Amino acid sequence: MSLASEVLTGAVRGGTSILYAGVGESYAESAGVVNLGTEGSMLVGALAAYAVASETNNPWAGALAGLVAGGALALVHAYFVLHRKANQLANGLVVLFLGLGLTSLFGASYVSKPAKSFTPWRIPGLGSLPGVGDILFNHDPLTYLSFLMVPASWWLLTRSRWGLLLRAAGERTEVLASYGHSVRRIQYMAVVLGGTLAGLGGAQLAIAYANAWFENMVQGRGFVAVAVVIFAARQPFKVAAGSYLFGAALALSPALQARGYGINQFALDAIPYVTIVVVLVALGRRRAAEAPEGLKKVFEVSPST
Amino acid sequence: MPPRSRSLSALALALSLTAVAGACGSNTTDTAATPSTGEGGATVDATPGKGSKAVGFIFVGPKDDFGYNQAAFQGSEAVKKAFPDFEVLTAENVPETDDAARVMEGMIDKGAKIIFATSYGHLDPAMKVAAAHPEVVVVQQGNLIKGTVPANAGTYFGTVYEPVYLAGIVAGKQTKSNKLGYVYAFPIPQTISNINAFELGAQSVNPGVQTYVVNTSAWCDPGKQAGAARSLLDQGVDVITQHQDCTGTITKAAEAAGAMVVGYHADASSLAPKGWIAGSEWSWADLYTDIVKTSLAGDFTGSKYNANFREGLKDGQNPFIESKFGPSVGADVKTLVDTAKTRISTSGSPFAGPVVGQDGKTIVAEGTVPDYATIESLMTVFVKGVVGELPKN
Amino acid sequence: MTAADVPVVVAPKRALPGGVSAGLRWVVALGGAAVIFGSFMLAKGANPFEAFSSMFAALRTDTSLKGIATQSAPLIFAALAVAVPAKAGLVNVGGEGQLLLGGIGATAMSLALGGSLPGGVTLVLLCLAGALAGAAWSALAGLLRLKVGINEAVTTLLLNYIALDLMLFLIYDKWKDANGSGQPVTAPLPVPERLPLIGASGLHAGIFIAVVATATAWWALRSTRWGFQLRVVGGNPEAARRAGLKVGLLLISAMAVGGALAGLGGVVQLAGAEFKLRPGFLVSYGYIGFLASWLARHHPVRVATAAVLLAAIAVSGDSLQLDSGLPAATVNVLMALVLLAVFGWTQHKKVATT
Repeated sequence: MSLASEVLTGAVRGGTSILYAGVGESYAESAGVVNLGTEGSMLVGALAAYAVASETNNPWAGALAGLVAGGALALVHAYFVLHRKANQLANGLVVLFLGLGLTSLFGASYVSKPAKSFTPWRIPGLGSLPGVGDILFNHDPLTYLSFLMVPASWWLLTRSRWGLLLRAAGERTEVLASYGHSVRRIQYMAVVLGGTLAGLGGAQLAIAYANAWFENMVQGRGFVAVAVVIFAARQPFKVAAGSYLFGAALALSPALQARGYGINQFALDAIPYVTIVVVLVALGRRRAAEAPEGLKKVFEVSPST
Repeated sequence: MPPRSRSLSALALALSLTAVAGACGSNTTDTAATPSTGEGGATVDATPGKGSKAVGFIFVGPKDDFGYNQAAFQGSEAVKKAFPDFEVLTAENVPETDDAARVMEGMIDKGAKIIFATSYGHLDPAMKVAAAHPEVVVVQQGNLIKGTVPANAGTYFGTVYEPVYLAGIVAGKQTKSNKLGYVYAFPIPQTISNINAFELGAQSVNPGVQTYVVNTSAWCDPGKQAGAARSLLDQGVDVITQHQDCTGTITKAAEAAGAMVVGYHADASSLAPKGWIAGSEWSWADLYTDIVKTSLAGDFTGSKYNANFREGLKDGQNPFIESKFGPSVGADVKTLVDTAKTRISTSGSPFAGPVVGQDGKTIVAEGTVPDYATIESLMTVFVKGVVGELPKN
Repeated sequence: MTAADVPVVVAPKRALPGGVSAGLRWVVALGGAAVIFGSFMLAKGANPFEAFSSMFAALRTDTSLKGIATQSAPLIFAALAVAVPAKAGLVNVGGEGQLLLGGIGATAMSLALGGSLPGGVTLVLLCLAGALAGAAWSALAGLLRLKVGINEAVTTLLLNYIALDLMLFLIYDKWKDANGSGQPVTAPLPVPERLPLIGASGLHAGIFIAVVATATAWWALRSTRWGFQLRVVGGNPEAARRAGLKVGLLLISAMAVGGALAGLGGVVQLAGAEFKLRPGFLVSYGYIGFLASWLARHHPVRVATAAVLLAAIAVSGDSLQLDSGLPAATVNVLMALVLLAVFGWTQHKKVATT
């Protein structure tokens, strides 16, 4: 396989978990809530998916469990942020710690247990196309599901009435309230929905990509998802582009090494993060200006007490 | 806001006050209880390890990782079985930093006079604890003490690369693409010697075979392992092995791709019923038990364990043993393995000369059989036939 | 979950009369955290009462107290590194990377000097180098916030990963100890460059330096012009701008001072406890410091006390393993619950009704 097609295949394969989390975070941020606990939702999603897939021998049951667990942890964030007015950025990290602790407490016994996981399925016809066949049409079911999830989320967020309400909750709370809608209720839905998608992303990581559970296995993918959402301006298609970019950067290191290139391994390890920072710098200012009012409040003035 | 926060301060202050009070109290009792730590300490109690009621084990990862730490944990279970009225204390996920010293001290507080620090990076904190507690035996797994070895300390290890070399023979015979894949974590001597031994073993039966290496910069990061396995498979590698603490991801990835698997740390043949061909795994029970026995008897100081202890096939036993062969391995291959094993057991070594580095320079001259310590010091470069580069020092 | 369900969840708070004392509120919050944590322990088959009592018993041992003091030193710095920028309304989640940069800066200085200066002088220069390196790392995030408009919470998080790769690169490559059996560590810091020990306690002086830093931060934030302006910016940047304050400069300086404090924390750990850079150097201290600062709402003195408290919780993880057989990382649950309790039940914030 050529380097380019290997890296692009790896981009989709490794970027999908971030894509789920990023689209999820787009819902939350559209409604004006930032959730750094996305990392935690991915972690509990990964463990729940692995544990349930292991116990039931059914990866779909695992994916469902990942979804529920991710959403449940996001609910904790939503409650403290929306009801108790905790600082969003700080509370997100606290929620991550909760996820980290809970998964190490309940996950230890699953490290060595096998689980039934998703296997790649080559789509007949499309999968044999030269080039794109491997890159797009030889994946696990959760990756195919993400291909549908992106346009669906785009439509929901930008074209549907519900998306309009969601964005209004992040932008013009007063207007929304004056029309008799509960801003908080909409925000709750957005944050929890975001968490369920992050949980599904964790599930993809655990029972489709890596086929393993290990403590802290998400390794910052949730943080990357939040960063991607910033430069993607909460647009699902752009989130996909950003996630695949990170996935490609991740895939670059082993692909180069397996070809015998003598590049320092730690320089290669830093590439994905440096890439994200560089893209943020390149697109940052424009995106920041486009952010909804509610989000600006979080990102620009973070009250210190 | 002030009143609430003040109560936090008050709470913490109270806590620290009790703490300080406790410190003064326990300080005095401590010195009284252990006269052996003073300069006049030639009492019976000072014999390292003697009369211990407990033994402590620290692991760098979780004790059920299907790999390195699980093997060490099973060793501790064997100690528990051999000494039923003993308390066996275990702590997992102990970082390879100064924090490890505190965990070991905590075990000593609970009566342990024998401590096993089971990861390479635990050496510095282990030496610190050994220096502070001359009455406690502290042994460390896998690293080397430089200079004088204290009377109550030592390191131990198997010759990991021997079974890896034998598994390399199997891989070299079974491969069809002549490309083997090796996923490793970090470029340390223990890993480099494994990779080299694997390639040398394969070469010994198949001169054209090459080993492709990819690192993950982590002892267990399943996300990176999946990517590494993928890249190797995409290069046409048809046998994969690894030096990782947790081994499930790579084993399953190889099996799913129809490639063959050489195991490491633990028997994972159940994860790859079709692809499993060979492997190496730890069997610490005998060595751990013997170290504990020697220490309890008060014989640790001056014993073979009071040094950088290594044992291998030449010594008649190696705590790192061969896993079972897979179903596809034929009798002829097994014979080759047996022959090599006999050769190493009598006078040889996987690194018996000539060994040539990637750059064509001779590492071990023809006719030379290096000893264990020499091998560990030589492993800074890959041998010829390994595809990949190491950072230079 | 809909808004209609929510009052049920808030019930514990509503049940308390409005004028209830702050102390009781704290007891309820922490007690609640302990009860939830206990139920998790129960779920894992451990007896929570025994676990708690052995945790407290273990905390009073010499080993634990020394452990708490040793951990507190870098942790206090990590927490102050969050507290100072927070006064200006900035969220610094980069303690993790800035601590590492401190260790890297100090090691670079030590290697560059090669023992050519007296130990004491070198030690001062190590502190300076570490603080500068930490400050540069955090100021970068401040600069991105100012010039490009990317939130510093996100950039500091990403920079943590890059800092780790930088350190690993150095210790596996350029700075690898030639006498270290090939292991990824730097050569040990020469003895004269290490922090002195406090009497016969075996404790290094780091905790004292941390206390001095805390007092200095408290004084600087409270009594200097800079501290005052920082608080104005944190309260209302727009008003600050209209009042003619150099908001940009203030934000960058707050980030830089935060990073410098974290950098010092890295130096203290290097010169006091570890003596070498190694892969696990100060892992997770940055995040725990972040929690400490938010736990105490960024008041330097309280932040330092909170750091000691969290160090105690972290050290009590030893007992959870040795006495109760629970995974060490379980203490993360306890930490998070304490934080959530404090966020949720000890603040007087008005909840907007919808």
